[in-house]
Amino acid sequence: MAYIVPVIFLAVFIFAAVKKVKIYDEFSAGVKDAAKFTLSLIPCLAAIFMMCELFEASGLADRLTEFLSPAFAFLGIPKELAKLVLIKPFSGSGSLAYLNDIIQTYGADSYVARCACVCYGSSETVFYISAVYFAGLKQKKLAAPIAIVIVSTFLTTVLACLVCRVM
Amino acid sequence: MNAVFTVIFLVSVAALAISAPQNALGALLSGAEKSLKMAVTLFCIYAVWMGISRVAEKSGLSGAAARGLKPLTRRLFKTENEAANENLAMNLSCNLLGIGGAATPYAVKAIGELEKEKNTFAQKLLFIINATSVQIVPTTVIALRAAAGSAAAADIFLPSLICTAFSTALAAAIFIFGPKKWRT
Repeated sequence: MAYIVPVIFLAVFIFAAVKKVKIYDEFSAGVKDAAKFTLSLIPCLAAIFMMCELFEASGLADRLTEFLSPAFAFLGIPKELAKLVLIKPFSGSGSLAYLNDIIQTYGADSYVARCACVCYGSSETVFYISAVYFAGLKQKKLAAPIAIVIVSTFLTTVLACLVCRVM
Repeated sequence: MNAVFTVIFLVSVAALAISAPQNALGALLSGAEKSLKMAVTLFCIYAVWMGISRVAEKSGLSGAAARGLKPLTRRLFKTENEAANENLAMNLSCNLLGIGGAATPYAVKAIGELEKEKNTFAQKLLFIINATSVQIVPTTVIALRAAAGSAAAADIFLPSLICTAFSTALAAAIFIFGPKKWRT
């Protein structure tokens, strides 16, 4: 899999050179777009991150984890996973840190760690994506799509815990 | 988003006011700081991928990829817009290849194009597909497990594939077959 990136760059650059594209000019123009794009994201990112930090710092994240863990256990989700499942929609780096924690604590080949890996890999940071994707739009009615994604992600967690038992 | 933000913000601040009011400002500032760090990380990713994607675009390569995937994107997203189809095709290809960082700029461009024709259905479907993660190879997770001394780091490949396919299919199905007001 490590070959994908070098191969893509080689293929694109060689093809572009054959087509006589001014590669340096176009590449820098692309980076300029990236700079503009990143700047336009900062206000949304700042607001979302402040909300996430408050949620963590207020202890509500922990309280919610505790409150929901019996329900999680009933659905076959190990209680160690509850926090990962709850944090993932908000924070990619936070959930990655927590995933690493689970792997270190229980061992990479344990059932809990494998479940955690599959859950992490099959979900995304929903709130962050919604902020980035719709940053430029005036009218946004995103409650239904966000709810659909969260429900599906949760059901997938249940499935992941089942699949990891047999595979 | 406004409602979600307001509710979580208010409830968290209220809880902090009761338990530890001195931590409120610290949390807000650290959130703002993290957003800038995140922006720096994102700029690095986007600089690499938007640089190369611009080269690919000018050489006609992305146009070719888009033509190949056009029958799929046109039917799935119900749009005839040339530029939107091209960006949609590139977003899907990047996702499937497992280079999620490259997929985001295409998605944002596609959403901008779709806005011109007020195609909210396609915008939301694109969000749902991306937010349920459609990667084929979970590179980050495999690398983490290998680093922790796993005997077979890649053995979660199949469970991951099953789950990621399930989550995307389920979310897309709920969205497409659910009440009409969800799609507008």
